[in-house]
Amino acid sequence: MICSDLIKEFMEKGRSDSCPVIDMHQHMGPFQGIYFPNPSPEDMIRTMNRCGVKMGVFCSHAALIDPEANIEMAQVVKRYPDRFRAYWCINPNYPEGIPKEINQFSKMEGFVGFKFLSDYHKYPITSPRYKPALEYAEDHELLVLMHTWGRSPYDSPALVEKLAEKYRHVTFLMGHSGYGEWERSIQVARDYPNVYLELTAAYAVNGVIEWMVKEAGSEKILFGTDLPWFDPHYGIGCVLFSRITDEDRHNILHRNAGRLLQPFL
Amino acid sequence: MKFFDCNASFGKPMIKPIRYAETARDLLEEMDFYGIDEAVVFHSRQRDDSPVVGNKILMNEIEGIERLHGTLAILPPQTGELGSLENLVETMKAKNICAFRAFPAEHKYLMTKTALGSLYELMIERNIPLFISVNESCGGISGWYLIEKILSDAPDLTLIVTEHGSWGHDRFFRPLIEKYENLYLDISRYELDGGIRDFCDKYGAERLLFGTGFPKWNPGGPILMLAQADITRKEREMIASGNLQRILGRVKL
Ligand SMILES: [Zn+2]
Repeated sequence: MICSDLIKEFMEKGRSDSCPVIDMHQHMGPFQGIYFPNPSPEDMIRTMNRCGVKMGVFCSHAALIDPEANIEMAQVVKRYPDRFRAYWCINPNYPEGIPKEINQFSKMEGFVGFKFLSDYHKYPITSPRYKPALEYAEDHELLVLMHTWGRSPYDSPALVEKLAEKYRHVTFLMGHSGYGEWERSIQVARDYPNVYLELTAAYAVNGVIEWMVKEAGSEKILFGTDLPWFDPHYGIGCVLFSRITDEDRHNILHRNAGRLLQPFL
Repeated sequence: MKFFDCNASFGKPMIKPIRYAETARDLLEEMDFYGIDEAVVFHSRQRDDSPVVGNKILMNEIEGIERLHGTLAILPPQTGELGSLENLVETMKAKNICAFRAFPAEHKYLMTKTALGSLYELMIERNIPLFISVNESCGGISGWYLIEKILSDAPDLTLIVTEHGSWGHDRFFRPLIEKYENLYLDISRYELDGGIRDFCDKYGAERLLFGTGFPKWNPGGPILMLAQADITRKEREMIASGNLQRILGRVKL
């Protein structure tokens, strides 16, 4: 079998003291099309402990639907400040409320930035409806996690490039790494210092992690799981068993995320 | 822990995957990298080409390799392309073939009793498992609807459903698991957090099989997920290899 101290440690203990994982793409609570055994914050913390995940940045499923539910996430972060941070979801279907939301957001603790779910909300990430949030994020150097999918009319890597060019002080996390349109996604992450590839679901595609490391560098890749959707061990296993170095594995599983989260801890 | 992969393939597919194993020897190298001991395999030409061509390529490639167990792609016997059922069984015995695999979308046939009844009878009589991906379809039905169709036509068939997706399938497959006791699931994409534990609590560990989905999917995912699943060591071993060994041990050729 492939030889790596990290693999040995994770296979034997399920976690690693030297590699405390940070999950940059989580959700929380029940959702429409899936049965979750472990949806509550406490369930998620149990899973995170089992898998050696020290911190997760989440956007609740409720907040993906109804902007009013964003506020509730602050309570979870307050209860578990060492384990969670949150993304405030911008739903462009309710543009009239967005200025008030940003005002609320500015007074709250526990958030690292915004979450866009354009494929589901049906407005492209370049829509003017996102502009107030993007301008606020630009002024305050925040993170924006976007669901991105290859060839989507709403959130393809080509559209991410347009935002990255315009908002140089926003850090864009390409959720699912623009799934399927790998070459273009990797190019955008390589060319723009403010764009990162986020691995949720993408990690399962055999060989894609090696490709990303080779072309964009392991410094531009972040780990995520969509928890409570996916067992973190699944994604961690995909990173560990890729043909990359232990240094790359540390970068992907925690170092890069630790650097990005520094201002919010 | 011994890993016995129920879902791997090799060969040069029509659509080039990012990574793949062209020959059986290349696949063995991949398996060594991940620490996988044995695998039930098919060759990509069995899917992408005529099964008449692909089955032969598979049998030649795996000849003499004990770690690889072949599956033959089926067709409705009525066209006679795969020869008589008796000859088919003889070939299987001689060539280390332990199961059948269905690609009804690619090979264009209906999975009905009318088309496959005699093959279903042969499989049931001799305990030969049938493998099918949940992404298959035929005659306008697909996914779990197709799986239910197969099982309602042949309730005693040993059916192994591969790569049921990661985006929430429990509501689809649990009713089938409860009704059909010879239905088994490959865990190559059963990524649901707490899914394996929850499933085993309710149904036991007998119905889940370790699989990788190589070359399309990254084998590291199911390997670490299963090695660290929140179930007993015995249950993990059953899923990793024991269940598949039991299923193949029952095959009478
Ligand atoms: Zn997500």
